[in-house]
Amino acid sequence: MKKRQMYFRMITASLVRRRSRMLVALLSIAIGATILSGLVTIYYDVPRQMGAQFRNYGANMIFTPAEGTFTAEDMEAGRSRIDSGNIVGVTPYRYESVRIHELPVMAAGTDMEQTKSTSPYWSVEGTYPASGGELLLGAGLSEQFRLRVGDEVTVSYTPEFDGRSGEETVLDNTKDFTVTGILETGGPEEDYAYMAMSDLEELTGISGVIDLAELSVSASSDELKAYTEKISAEVPKIGARLVKRVTESETTVLTKLQALVLLVTVIVLALTMICVATTMTAVVAERRKEIGLRKAIGASNGGIIKEFMGEGMLLGAAGGIIGSVLGYIFAQQVSINVFSSSISFMPLIVPVTILVSVAVTGISCLLPIRSATQVDPALVLKGE
Amino acid sequence: MSLLELKNIYKIYGDLHALDDVNLKVEKGEWLSIMGPSGSGKSTMMNIIGCMDKPTKGEVLLDGVDIAKESAKNLTTIRRDKIGLIFQQFHLVNYLTAIENVMLAQYYHSVPDEKEALEALDRVGLADRAKHLPSQLSGGEQQRVCVARALINYPEIILADEPTGNLDDANEKIVVDLFHKLHSEGTTLIVVTHDPEVAEVAQRTVYLRNGKLHKETINEHFTGEIKFDK
Repeated sequence: MKKRQMYFRMITASLVRRRSRMLVALLSIAIGATILSGLVTIYYDVPRQMGAQFRNYGANMIFTPAEGTFTAEDMEAGRSRIDSGNIVGVTPYRYESVRIHELPVMAAGTDMEQTKSTSPYWSVEGTYPASGGELLLGAGLSEQFRLRVGDEVTVSYTPEFDGRSGEETVLDNTKDFTVTGILETGGPEEDYAYMAMSDLEELTGISGVIDLAELSVSASSDELKAYTEKISAEVPKIGARLVKRVTESETTVLTKLQALVLLVTVIVLALTMICVATTMTAVVAERRKEIGLRKAIGASNGGIIKEFMGEGMLLGAAGGIIGSVLGYIFAQQVSINVFSSSISFMPLIVPVTILVSVAVTGISCLLPIRSATQVDPALVLKGE
Repeated sequence: MSLLELKNIYKIYGDLHALDDVNLKVEKGEWLSIMGPSGSGKSTMMNIIGCMDKPTKGEVLLDGVDIAKESAKNLTTIRRDKIGLIFQQFHLVNYLTAIENVMLAQYYHSVPDEKEALEALDRVGLADRAKHLPSQLSGGEQQRVCVARALINYPEIILADEPTGNLDDANEKIVVDLFHKLHSEGTTLIVVTHDPEVAEVAQRTVYLRNGKLHKETINEHFTGEIKFDK
C-alpha cells in the first residue's frame, strides 16, 4: 500500500467512523456555506430580479423623432439593435387632435397589447380595446363628457388644409367608437383618448407615422446607455433617450441593495470562520491524546499538520457541497418569497462555494492544529 | 558496547531530583524490568529512554549515539526507527481498525504493508480480529494490538510502561508469553511495572527509589514464563 493510500484511508476513517463528532463540525461549515452561497446567488441575481420589478414602473427608454416624425420601419430598426431577450415591450404612440362633441381632445393611436407591457401600472375600468372601433378613455375625459363603459361616441378629425383640392372648406372625417374602458393613472394619461393605431390612421387618413415610442427594456443602466448611443448613432431618424426618473432610481436602489447583501455576506463569512475555528479547536483539543500517541510512535509535526489539515479540508469540501445545494434552495426560497419569481442557477457558485469552504476550514484549522503539535508525547506514556 | 547506556543521568525540576545520578547498562537481547514506587522516577526514566524527554545532565547512549544531545526532530526519528512503545492504557487510535493501528506505525516509519501488519497481528493471535475497531476488542486484545504495533518495525528496544496494569490474569499471561516469545527471537525488552510477578520473569530487575537506583536483582532461574500464585 502506498503512503498516500494510507493517508486517505486514515482521514476518511476519521470522518466516517467519528461521524457523530464530525457532524457538528460539518453542520457548522455547511450552514456557513449555505448562507454564503445563498447570499452570493442573491447578490448576483438581484439586478435581474429587481430589473423585472422595476419594469412595473413602466418604460425606461423612449424613441423620439430626430425631426418631425418617424415610421414603424424606423422603430423596428431601433428595436432590432436591442437584444430581443431584454425587450419587455415596445409601444408606438401617435398623437392627433380630434374632437368629441365638438370639443378638442387629444387622441393617441397605439398598440393596446404593448401598453400592458410598457405601462403595467395603468388601471383600466372595463377592458382594453381589443378590436377596431373601441376606445380607452382617460378618466378626465370620461368625467368631462360623462361617458361610461359601453357608451357610443363619435370622434371627428379635421384634416389639414393643403389647398390642393381647391375647396374652400374641408369636411371632417368621423368614426364611431364604443368606450370599452376608462383609464386611471393619476397622471396626464387621463386626458387622452386611446385607440388602436389603425383606427387613428383610418380617422386621419395618414398612416405609417409615429410620434413617440416607449420601450421597457430589462437591462442595467450601463447597458441601457449603450443601447441608446448605438441606436441614436445608427438610426438617424430616431433619438433614443433614457427615462432618467426610472433608470436613475433603479441604479440607486440596486447599488444600495447590492451593497447591503455584500455587507451581510462578508459578516456571515467572518462569523462562519469564527464558528468553524471554534468547532475545529474543540475537535482538535479532544484529540490531544491521539496527537500525542501519533508523535510517540514517530509522527513529525509536519505529518500531524498534514493529517489534520487533510481532514479539515475534506470536511470543508463536504460542507461546501452540502452548502451549495442548500444555498441554492435558500436563495430560491428568498427569491420566491421576496421577488415572487424563481432564481437562475449559476453553476460557477458551486466550485466557488466549495473552494471558499475548503479555504475557510483550512485557515480555521491552522491555529488549533499548530497548537496541537506542541503536545508532549510523554503525556501519553504517563497515561494522562 | 551495550545497546543502551545511561551515564550519570540527572533530571532536575526546580528542587526536585526526579533522577539523581542514575547509571544503567542494557545489553542487546536483554529483558530488563524496572520497578519502584510512585514518584521514584520510573516514568522520567522511561521518557528519557523512549526519546520523549532529555536529561538535565548526563549521557544516554543508544547504539553508541548520545541521544541527550539530539534535537527534538532527530529524537522523533530515533524513536520511530529504534523504539517500540507499549502503554498501560493501550492508546490505540479509536477510529482505526486493529490492522490500521498496526499500519499506522509502518506509515510513520516507512511504507504501510497490509500483509506484514496482518502477520504481526497473527503473531499476537489476533489475525481474525484485524478488521475490528478498538471498541470491539477486549482490554487484552487491545494490548496485543499495541504489542503488534510496537514490533512491526523491528525496533532495537521494546519499551513497555505497565503493560499488564489494566489486564486480568489471563490476559496478563498472554502478554508476558508474547514478551517471552519476542525475547527468545532476540528483541531487547525494557518493562516498567508495579507487578513483582511480571518484573520477576525478566532476566534482570532494577529498583528505583527517590530517583536513584536502589538495588538490582538477577533472575538466576530465568525462564521468561510467569508463575501465578494469585
